[in-house]
Amino acid sequence: MAQDNMAVSAPGEALIRVEHLEKHFDGQIVLKDLSTEIHKGDVVCVIGPSGSGKSTFLRCLNRLEEPTGGHIYMDGIDICDPHTNIDHHRQKMGMVFQQFNLFPQMTIMKNLTLAPMKLQKRSKEEAEAYAEELLKRVGLADRRDSYPGELSGGQQQRIAIVRALCMRPEVMLFDEPTSALDPEMVGEVLNVMKDLAAEKMTMVVVTHEMGFAREVASRVMFLEGGEFIEDGEPTEFFAHPKSERLKSFLGKVL
Amino acid sequence: MNWWEQFQADFYLNFVKDDRWLYLTRGLKVTLVVTVCSALMGIILGFLVAIVRSTCENTGRLKILNAVCKLYLTIIRGTPVVVQLLIIYFIIFGSVRVDKTLTAIIAFGINSGAYQAEIFRSGIQSIPRGQFEAGRSLGFTYGQTMLHIIMPQAFRVCVPTLCNEFITLLKETSVAGYIALEDLTKGGDIIRSRTYSAFMPLIAVALIYLIMVMILTRLVSLLERRLARGTR
Repeated sequence: MAQDNMAVSAPGEALIRVEHLEKHFDGQIVLKDLSTEIHKGDVVCVIGPSGSGKSTFLRCLNRLEEPTGGHIYMDGIDICDPHTNIDHHRQKMGMVFQQFNLFPQMTIMKNLTLAPMKLQKRSKEEAEAYAEELLKRVGLADRRDSYPGELSGGQQQRIAIVRALCMRPEVMLFDEPTSALDPEMVGEVLNVMKDLAAEKMTMVVVTHEMGFAREVASRVMFLEGGEFIEDGEPTEFFAHPKSERLKSFLGKVL
Repeated sequence: MNWWEQFQADFYLNFVKDDRWLYLTRGLKVTLVVTVCSALMGIILGFLVAIVRSTCENTGRLKILNAVCKLYLTIIRGTPVVVQLLIIYFIIFGSVRVDKTLTAIIAFGINSGAYQAEIFRSGIQSIPRGQFEAGRSLGFTYGQTMLHIIMPQAFRVCVPTLCNEFITLLKETSVAGYIALEDLTKGGDIIRSRTYSAFMPLIAVALIYLIMVMILTRLVSLLERRLARGTR
């Protein structure tokens, strides 16, 4: 999609750097000392069994979940520092949820333009023009005046992706974007994500769609018990898993 | 005398003679003024308390204010409204003479605010957490998310319950006679004490309340239907 904001970091440079990330819930350890780097243009798929901490990891990246320890740097700024304005950083990190979470009382157009107008002080005309353009690309231009409740799950999720894109983010976070969809609607959402990947959007995707991971990801991470077990380029990752745990997981899902 | 002539004579005695019907119309006006004003006061108070309570529940901030609000809710919801009215009239405004209507408005406003606070709060809590997260993930602050995303949805949820609270409030103001405020109930009672006939004035008072409540109930159900339209 059109990326009219100037790239802050050069291709290949770390956009997000995670250092020793820890998350505990009531004494239970969910994430154990995670460190990794996400580079500009990467499409990172995070896979793993349920309860492995993959959603928590993703939600820590924009601090919807407050990390217990460690640091997350975006464009070199520690977003875990209490003095960092997290709201400002979230504007650069689009997020797509499993349950879409569109605003039910607003039309699609209002859903798409609310944040750009209120937070980025864009004019109504500018925000709507950009939203229209993106709506056209996902094939939903005719639904601009509908309400979310009038759309199918797949349509709602495509709108949710557009809503995040309207903020012109540097990175997109996807939290199991197809898990709440009827099977016949999964494809239309994955196609939008594929287009996005083809346009070199940096993406972190928590998913159970192994086909998508294999085909689109530039990197696949396997998370289990709150630890990165394996991390690699998809062809090698799926063809020759090194650890027993990944082998057994892939045996179950493929 | 047959029953019809008896009825006419009673009617004349209780309402027409000495312009006694004026007790009812004047009383009705007082009842309406007290109800509307205390409802508005309750909305403001209840809204503020609800914001403090939900903010504390969601973010852990405003702990001291939240404790104050909890104390307010406990005291007001744990004691009868008549007692609250008497305390405000005789103790708090004991040495300064404040207009009785104003006293009643303050007493019922404070009382209703406590109930409305819980209605607003449960409305806010009923909005799925995902809505809040979606707002925050776009970069809205806590306050902006509340204002632009949560409140408009919570308001829709609250409206029917809130209207029922207003209906309750209308009936509750009938105890205003305890501080000798001449509201509708007191008006009927004054007629009774003059004419020594209880049936006519008290039944008339009851009918007036009933008609007002029926009209309001009808309005609420119309409103509910309207709000139900266009969502989901």
